[in-house]
Amino acid sequence: MRLLKETLRRLNYLGRRSRFDDDLDTEVAFHIETRADELESTGLSRTHARAQARREFGSPARVAEETRSAWQFRWLEDLAADLRYAARSFRRNPAFAATAIACLALGIGANTTIFSIATEVLFSQPSVRDAGSLVHIRLAGSSHVPMEAYRFVRDANLFAGFAGQNENMEVNWRRGDGADRLFAIRVTGNFFGVTGIPLAMGRAIQPGDSDVAVVNYGFWQSRLAADSNVIGRALFLDGHPFTVVGVLPRDHRTLAGFGFTPDLYLPVSKDTERVAFFARLPEGMTRQIAAARLQSVSQQLDRIHPNEGYAQQVEVSAVAGLGRLESSEVQAVAAFFAMLMVVVGLVLLMACANVASLLLARASSRSHELAIRLSIGASRGRIVRQLFADSLLLSVAGTAAGLALNVALTRVLSGIRLPVPIPVQFLIEPDWRLLSYAIAVALASSLAAGLIPAIKGTRAGISAALKHGEHQVSRSRWTASNILVAGQLAVSIVLLCAAFLFLRNLVAASTMNPGFDVDHTIWAYMRLAPEAYPNREKTRPLIDAAVERLGTLPGVEAAAIARVVPLNDAMHFQIQVSTDLAARPVIVRFNLNYVGVDYFKTMQIPIVTGRGFTPADRMGAPQVAILNQNMARQLFGKQDPVGHTIRFPTGKGSNASSGKPIRIAGVARNSKYFTLGEENVAALYQPYAQWDGSIVNLHFLIRATGSPQPLIPAVNAALNRLDPTAAIETKTMQQGLAFTLVPSRVGAAILGAMGVLGLALASIGLYGVLLYSVSRRIREIGLRMALGATPAEILRMVLRQSTSLAATGIGIGLALSIFAVRPLAAFLTPEVRTNDVANFVVVGAVLAVVALIATVAPALRAVRVDPVVALREE
Amino acid sequence: MGERTFPELLPGTLYMLILRTLRAGPLHGYAIAKRVKEASQEGLVIEDGSLYPALNRMLVKGWLDAEWGISENHRKARFYRLTPEGRKQLDHEAESFDRLVRAIQLVMRTA
Repeated sequence: MRLLKETLRRLNYLGRRSRFDDDLDTEVAFHIETRADELESTGLSRTHARAQARREFGSPARVAEETRSAWQFRWLEDLAADLRYAARSFRRNPAFAATAIACLALGIGANTTIFSIATEVLFSQPSVRDAGSLVHIRLAGSSHVPMEAYRFVRDANLFAGFAGQNENMEVNWRRGDGADRLFAIRVTGNFFGVTGIPLAMGRAIQPGDSDVAVVNYGFWQSRLAADSNVIGRALFLDGHPFTVVGVLPRDHRTLAGFGFTPDLYLPVSKDTERVAFFARLPEGMTRQIAAARLQSVSQQLDRIHPNEGYAQQVEVSAVAGLGRLESSEVQAVAAFFAMLMVVVGLVLLMACANVASLLLARASSRSHELAIRLSIGASRGRIVRQLFADSLLLSVAGTAAGLALNVALTRVLSGIRLPVPIPVQFLIEPDWRLLSYAIAVALASSLAAGLIPAIKGTRAGISAALKHGEHQVSRSRWTASNILVAGQLAVSIVLLCAAFLFLRNLVAASTMNPGFDVDHTIWAYMRLAPEAYPNREKTRPLIDAAVERLGTLPGVEAAAIARVVPLNDAMHFQIQVSTDLAARPVIVRFNLNYVGVDYFKTMQIPIVTGRGFTPADRMGAPQVAILNQNMARQLFGKQDPVGHTIRFPTGKGSNASSGKPIRIAGVARNSKYFTLGEENVAALYQPYAQWDGSIVNLHFLIRATGSPQPLIPAVNAALNRLDPTAAIETKTMQQGLAFTLVPSRVGAAILGAMGVLGLALASIGLYGVLLYSVSRRIREIGLRMALGATPAEILRMVLRQSTSLAATGIGIGLALSIFAVRPLAAFLTPEVRTNDVANFVVVGAVLAVVALIATVAPALRAVRVDPVVALREE
Repeated sequence: MGERTFPELLPGTLYMLILRTLRAGPLHGYAIAKRVKEASQEGLVIEDGSLYPALNRMLVKGWLDAEWGISENHRKARFYRLTPEGRKQLDHEAESFDRLVRAIQLVMRTA
C-alpha cells in the first residue's frame, strides 16, 4: 500500500518534471536570498552577502540533481536510455536488426500460435456465467441419462440449478424439395437459465417452451443469410414448425468444448431422450460434497429403477479449466500439444541462438568501445545491462512481429472447417492468456539471447581489447558462437527427425489399405424424420425400396445398407461368447455391424470361406453371422467355423450360452473397422434384416462400376423420391473418409513446418557464423595468400570450419534424436518405427547438404579476398 | 569560510530532526535549517546541499506536504508541513533514538 502511494507520487512527478525544476530553482534562490538578507543585517554589503550565501550553499546544480533523483525511478530511466541507445545503434545497422527480429518473429510466431491453439482446444471456457461453479455430472458412469432420472435428481433440489442437454442430436430441416440434416443440442427448459449462456439477439429457451429454436451465429450467418428479422421466423424441423427466438453470439462456445459447434439449440421433445447433467453448485459446496449428496439421491433412484445402477458410478467434474484434463481422451490431446510445445520451444531456442550469435559478433566488434567504457569507470553491471537492453529491444520487436504473425495464422486456422463428421469450428482469438504468455516469451528470449553475449562482452580484459587483439591471427576453436551453431544444428536434427517421422506417418496412413474398396464406393446418409418412422415396420419397407432402387441405377454394380460405416463409426463389444466346439465361453472384444445382403460385394470384402448373406436370411429365419478371420481364429482356432454356432449371453450377468444359437455362414477377410492404425481387430457381421432394432439414421453404400462422383446426383434423386422429408448427404467414400487422415495430416503439417523452420534457422546460423569468421580473418587470409596459399587451400580452410561444425552438430543431434523421438511412437501408426535407421540417415544427409549450401557464400567471400586490399586495410 | 567545526550529524538522524522542527507548524527550507542550528546552539548544522534532497525524499515517502506561501521577508517560499504519517514516523524515530542514546549512555557509564 505504502509502496503503491510512493509509486503514484513518483509517477505524478514524471508528469510535471519541468514545473518541478522551476520550483526547485525558485526554492534554492529563496534560500540564498534569505541567507543573504541575514548576512546583510550583520553588516555585509549586499554584493558580499550574496556571494557569501552562494558559497555556503555550494553547487545548486548538484543539489538539483540529487533532489531530482529522490523522485526518479532510477532503473527505469536508465533502461529507457539504454533502449534509446540500442535503438540508435540498430538504426545504423538495419540488416543486423532485421535478421535478428525476423528470426525471433518466426520463432515466437510459431510458439505463440501453438500456444493459442492449445489453450483454445484444451482450456477454452464454455460461454457460461461463472464456469467455476458449474459442474458436469455422470450417473451410472454414462454420459447421458434418461429424462425420468433427470427429473428425479432435479426435484431433489440439491443444487442452485440443475439442467440437462443432449449435444448429439440431429434434425431434418425442410427446404424446398429436400431436407438438410442439422446438428442440434436438445436442452431442458431451464438450461439457459442455469448456465447463463448469453445471447446476441432475442431470448433464450425458457421452461415450458416446446417448438422454439435458438440458432448459432454461424448458422444464422451462412444458412439464414444473416437475416436481421430472423426472430419469429419459422424453421420446419422434423416436420414441425419451430420459431426462432434467439441468436447466439459469434464467440459462443458450447459446454462440450473442443470447438464443437452445432447449428441450433432446441428444447428436449420426448421423454425417451437422454441428457447429460449440468449443475450449478451453491456457494460453499465443493465437488466432493456434491458427489456425496448425489450418491444418496441416486441410491433412492436405484430403488425405483433397480436395473440401471445409477449409484454405481457417480462423477462430478469441472466444465472448464484443468478439471477437464482428467478424462483420458483429453489427456491424449494434451500429450500431443505438450509434444508440440516442446517442439516450438526448441524452434524458439534456435531463433534465440541465432540472435545470440549475431549479438556476439556485434559485441566482439564493439569490444574496443566496451573496453574504453570499462576503463573510464563504467561498472560491469552497467555494461551488462546495456547489452541486455540490446537483446530486450530485439525480443520486444520480435515478439510484436511474432504476435502479428500469430494473429494472421490463427485467423486463417479459425476459418478452416476440419473435414470431420461433426461440426467443429475453432475460434482462436488473442486474449489475456496469449498476451501474458507473449510477455513471458519476450523476457525469456531476451535473457536467452542476451546472456552469453553479455558475459562474453564484458569478460575480455580491458588491456587485451585496447591492444587491438582482434587483429591477431586466430585459430578456429570452440568459441561461444561455434558452440551455439553446433547446438542449433543438433536441435534441428532432432526437429527434422520428428518431422520426417510424421511425414512418413502421413504417407503410411494415406496409402494404407483399409481392407475394403474406397475408390468406387459411394456413401449415402439418409436421416428420416423420427415421427414418421417410429419402428422397424415403418423403416424396413423404405430400406428395401431404397436398396432396390439404388442397386438398379445405371452405373451401379451393387448397393447395401449398413448400420455403421467402417472408419466412421463403430459398435464395440466385449462379452463372453460360447461356441458349439469349446466347453467354456471366451471373452472376445469385437466390432459388430448389421449389414445388407450385398454389403461384401459393394465393399469388395472377399468372403474367404462359406457364403455371404442372402435375402433368405430374414427375420424369423435361423440367425446367421459372418466372422472376420481374426474372430474366426479367436473362437475356432484352425478349424473351419462355417456351419458351427455361437451364442451370446441374453442380458447382464446371465449365462454365456443362454442366447439363441447363431450359425456361422462364412468368414470375411480382415479389414479396418474403426481406425486405420488398429491391428488384429475381431469383427462380426449380422444381417440387417435380422436386427430387431430400428433407427432413423440410414447408411447406404453403393458400388459404382466407374468413377463414383458422377453418380451422386442420381443417388440423391432416387432417395429423395422415396421420402422428400428425409435429409440426404451423399459423398464418395474417398471424401467421406478424408477425416480419418486429419490427425496424420495435422501432425505432418505442423511438425513438417517446424522441421523446415528449424532447418532454416540453423542454416542461417551456420551461414552467419562462417561469414563472420571469414570477415574477421580477412587480414589473415590476405597474408596467407600473399605468402603463396592457393585458393584451394583457402577454400579448404573455410570448409574445415564448416564441416567440423556440421559434423559435431549432426553427431550430437543424431545421438539425441535416438532418444528424443522415442515417445513420438504414441502418435504414429505402428508401421512407422521410431528407431528406423533410414530416418536418421536421411535426416543427417539433408542437414549435411543444407550445411554445405550455407558454406558456399562465405567460402566464395574468402577465396575472393584480394591480398593487396586486405593487407592495406588499416 | 573557515574549517567546519560542527560535529557531523549522526547518520539517520536528519529525517528525525527535520520532522521534529516541523512539529510546531509549517516552515520553509531555510527556516528548518536555521531552527536546527539555533535549537542545538550551533551544535548541529544541516548542510544546505543535503537539506533539499532530504526534504524531497520525505515528500516521496509521504511524511511531508509542501505548498507555496509568502515568507516573513515577503518572498515566495515553499512551506513544508508534517502529514499524519510524518507525525507517526517522528514518534517512531524519536522513541528508537531515545532507546539508542540510553543504551549508549549505559555502556559509557558502567562498562
